[in-house]
Amino acid sequence: MNNFKLDNEPKIKSGFQIPDNYFDTFSEKVMNQLPTEEPKIISLWDRNKRWVYSVAAILVLSLTIPLANQFQSTTTEIATTETNEIENYLAYHASLSDEEIIKLLDKEDIAEIEITNSLDEEALKQALYEDSNTEYYITN
Amino acid sequence: MQEEKDFIEELLNPKTQNIAFQKLMREYQRPLYNHIRNIVLNHDDTDDVLQNTFIKVFQYLNGFKGDSKLFSWMYRIATNEAITFINNKAKRNGTTSEAMQTKIVENLKADVYFDGNDIQIKLQKSIALLPEKQQLVFKMKYFEELKYEEISEILGTSVGGLKASYHHAVKKIEEYMNTN
Repeated sequence: MNNFKLDNEPKIKSGFQIPDNYFDTFSEKVMNQLPTEEPKIISLWDRNKRWVYSVAAILVLSLTIPLANQFQSTTTEIATTETNEIENYLAYHASLSDEEIIKLLDKEDIAEIEITNSLDEEALKQALYEDSNTEYYITN
Repeated sequence: MQEEKDFIEELLNPKTQNIAFQKLMREYQRPLYNHIRNIVLNHDDTDDVLQNTFIKVFQYLNGFKGDSKLFSWMYRIATNEAITFINNKAKRNGTTSEAMQTKIVENLKADVYFDGNDIQIKLQKSIALLPEKQQLVFKMKYFEELKYEEISEILGTSVGGLKASYHHAVKKIEEYMNTN
C-alpha cells in the first residue's frame, strides 16, 4: 500500500463497538453510586445529653458528700479488704477498655499472664467439642 | 447560553438535581463514551472510566464556575480520567503508558467489541506510536469529528497549535501506513 493519504481514503472508522443495550442501564448504574447527603440524625442521647449530665452530677455530689464525712473510718476498712475482692471488683465493675489495661501492663506482668494462661489441653478439647462451628471448620 | 445557565441551576438545586443529572447523562453518555474508548481502547475499561467521569462531574458541580461550557468541562474531566487510567494501568504492569497502548492495540483483534479490519488495526497501531498530545488531537478530530474550536476549549491549546499537532500526526500516520 503505497502513497496512502488519509484524506484520499474513505473515512476509516475506529471499529469500536458498544455492547447492545449498554446505555439502557448506564445512567441507573451511575445514579446508584452518587454520594447522597445524609440527613442529620439527632439521637435521643444527643437531645437529652444536658439533662443526663446534670442528673449524674447531682447524684455524684449527693453520694460523695456523706462518703467524705465517713472517709476517716473507711480508709482502715479498705486496707484490710482482701486483695482478691479488689481484683474482682475491678474486673466486674471498672469500665477500663482492653487498650487501657494493656497500657498499664509492663513486661513482667505480661510474662506472668502468659504463664497463668497456658492452655489446658483437656479444656481446649472440651471447648472445641462444645463449639458447634468446629465441624464446619474441619470439613471446609 | 442562558439555557445552559438555567440547566446548571437545575443541576445544583437539590430538588431538581436528580432529574437534571439524568438528562445530562443521556445527552453526554455516548459522545463521552466514544471519547474515552478512543483513549483506553477496550470496553470494560471505558465503562469504568465513564462511570468515574460522571461521578466526578456530580461531585465537582458545585465548583463549576461557568467560565467554560459544560461541554468542554465534562470532556476535560473525561480526558483526565482516561489518561490517568492508562498511566495507572501501565504502572501496575510495570511498563510505560506508550508500551501499554501498543500492547492493548495488539490485543484488539481478540476483543469481541472490536470489529475492525486490517487497515483499522494498522491505523490504531500507528496512532499508538504518536506522542500523547498528537494522539488526543488526532482522535478528537478524525474519529470524533470535533471542531478545532471545541478541542481548543477542552485541551486549552490554541487552534493554531492544534492544527500543527494534527498535521504532524497525519504525516506520521501516513508514513507508517506506507512503510509497514
